[in-house]
Amino acid sequence: MLVYTLRRILILIPMLLFITFLVYTGIELMPGDAIDYIASPEAIANLAPGALEALRESLGLNDPFIFRYFRWLGNIFKGDFGYSLSSGLPISVIVYDRLPATLELAIAALILSSLFGSILGVISALKRGSILDYALSVVGMIGVSIPQFFFGLVAIVLFALKLGWLPYAGRTLPGYVSFFDRLPHLILPSLVLAFTMTAGVMRYSRTSMLDSMNKDFIKTARSKGLPEWRVNLIHGLRVAMTPVVVLIGFRLPSLISGAVVIETVFHWPGMGSEFIQAVRSQNTPLVMMISFFSVTAVLAASVVVDVITALLDPRVRLD
Amino acid sequence: MENKIKRKTRLDRRMDKIRALEESGQLKNKRVNRYFRKFKNNRLALWGVIVFAVIVVLCTFAPIFTRHDPGEIDVLNKFQPPSRDHILGTDQIGRDVYSRILYGGRISILVGLGGALGAAIIGASLGCYVVYKGRRLDNIVMRFSEIMMSFPQIVLVLLLVTVMGQSLNNLLLIFILTGWGGVYRMARSKILSIREEEYIQALEAFGLSNFVIVFKHMLPNVLGPIAVNITLSTAMFVLQEAALSFLGLGVPLQIPTWGNILNVARNVAILRNNWWMWLPVGLVISVFVLSINFIGDGIRDSVDPTQQG
Repeated sequence: MLVYTLRRILILIPMLLFITFLVYTGIELMPGDAIDYIASPEAIANLAPGALEALRESLGLNDPFIFRYFRWLGNIFKGDFGYSLSSGLPISVIVYDRLPATLELAIAALILSSLFGSILGVISALKRGSILDYALSVVGMIGVSIPQFFFGLVAIVLFALKLGWLPYAGRTLPGYVSFFDRLPHLILPSLVLAFTMTAGVMRYSRTSMLDSMNKDFIKTARSKGLPEWRVNLIHGLRVAMTPVVVLIGFRLPSLISGAVVIETVFHWPGMGSEFIQAVRSQNTPLVMMISFFSVTAVLAASVVVDVITALLDPRVRLD
Repeated sequence: MENKIKRKTRLDRRMDKIRALEESGQLKNKRVNRYFRKFKNNRLALWGVIVFAVIVVLCTFAPIFTRHDPGEIDVLNKFQPPSRDHILGTDQIGRDVYSRILYGGRISILVGLGGALGAAIIGASLGCYVVYKGRRLDNIVMRFSEIMMSFPQIVLVLLLVTVMGQSLNNLLLIFILTGWGGVYRMARSKILSIREEEYIQALEAFGLSNFVIVFKHMLPNVLGPIAVNITLSTAMFVLQEAALSFLGLGVPLQIPTWGNILNVARNVAILRNNWWMWLPVGLVISVFVLSINFIGDGIRDSVDPTQQG
């Protein structure tokens, strides 16, 4: 098992190296001067005229490309991600600032969609072929067909502008600090995000529940004379939920930057809206670094998920 | 619940009927037609085809169905609610919303369908040939697609928009670039199993060229899943074009597309007061994507019986 885990991690290293190489090439190729990315804006502003070239030399910007790449990689390991072009803030500060908001939204949406998705999926598997099953699958299809942002807009108009029940934008009001003060702001974006995600979980858990209902151990359980709900919920569900958990595990990291559209619609101050702003202002280093973080998160999650699956199911092994 | 053999769904019953007809010899040319008949019996998929066709026809022949030019600016009649002259009203500079939706649909559908088709063609032909030809090339392509796929789709698209710049052609290219990997993997896994079949060995023994074996005798076996993939990625790309243009990062604003029309909804005043400027477009996108998804589901059910839940 340990060997498997180690091998799984070792495979990642060349991939990550390649991705960092691409990211760095992207930053280097951007229009403009790379020194804005590498040195802090104060350091540049305080320079005497003509000292820019000296700074350039001392930062190693005149070295060959491959040296610059490795120096940059070393800085990444030390936690120095460079500076954003538009605000001049260190990128690490921006991430530290934005990540909590995104995690709050992502986790809320993930919990809601997993809960609803798996319950509805199991129900429609148990009632296979009924009108309810049919209706749920149609609703699920609608859920993945409506553009997320359009659904968000309709929700804003309905619940925030017309009915006035909930705030329509932002994460908090000035002066509000605790989580419960912020809760009303969280409701709309997380529900909208969850609605579109529920459909996928529902489909997945329906298929895997149907699959496990046909297994021999279910027949055994039934023939032991166990009540039907016990057979379904205790024996069937336990096996059926494993792939669903895997799916959910894969979702979290991609949500960290994947909720870009919803964050923009609701003016949610997370990584996603920062990302959009960076794309819009051609802030290449920031775009590259945020993409790099999200890829790293996805890859790390895939290792964790693989290891967990291997632990649960001894048939899964690295080929 | 005792004694419960699999309860038959509507689709199962239809399939039984089709099989009975086939066995009684009333139907000729069995295999091809069975797919078609199964598809025809899927009510939702049929509705999907009808809605899809209506929207595509309306957009393609937009000049026939509209009275106003989509770019015609009429400042005196801005923010007009729906009326007899302007079925869906006018926007903030007096352009007719209805004709903008039809003309915009041309671009949106083109981008969606074009992206999906391009990705499918590249992915499938590469998948078939590379896998059949050799390990090393396959390894390289596979690693490459793995890297592409570890990016969340929207992040990759936005990253490429930053690098390549914003234009209609670039968007199409970006969709193809991000889409081929999935088709490649699917074609690959199919081809890997087909390669071991005896009929392929027989063809090799006959001395047929690789090209003929791969594209004439192996590719047709992969077409079913590819068709499903094309429909589903068309739906995805239409949604993504809409989202990107809504954010102002997709097709440049002067070209009307569904997403660009929705762009005005970022203004809260318009969102609150002028529903005709954003609600109809959003509904059209939703209905269009829904119809494609139903078609895709129908194709999947008819070509791949294992997927039928």
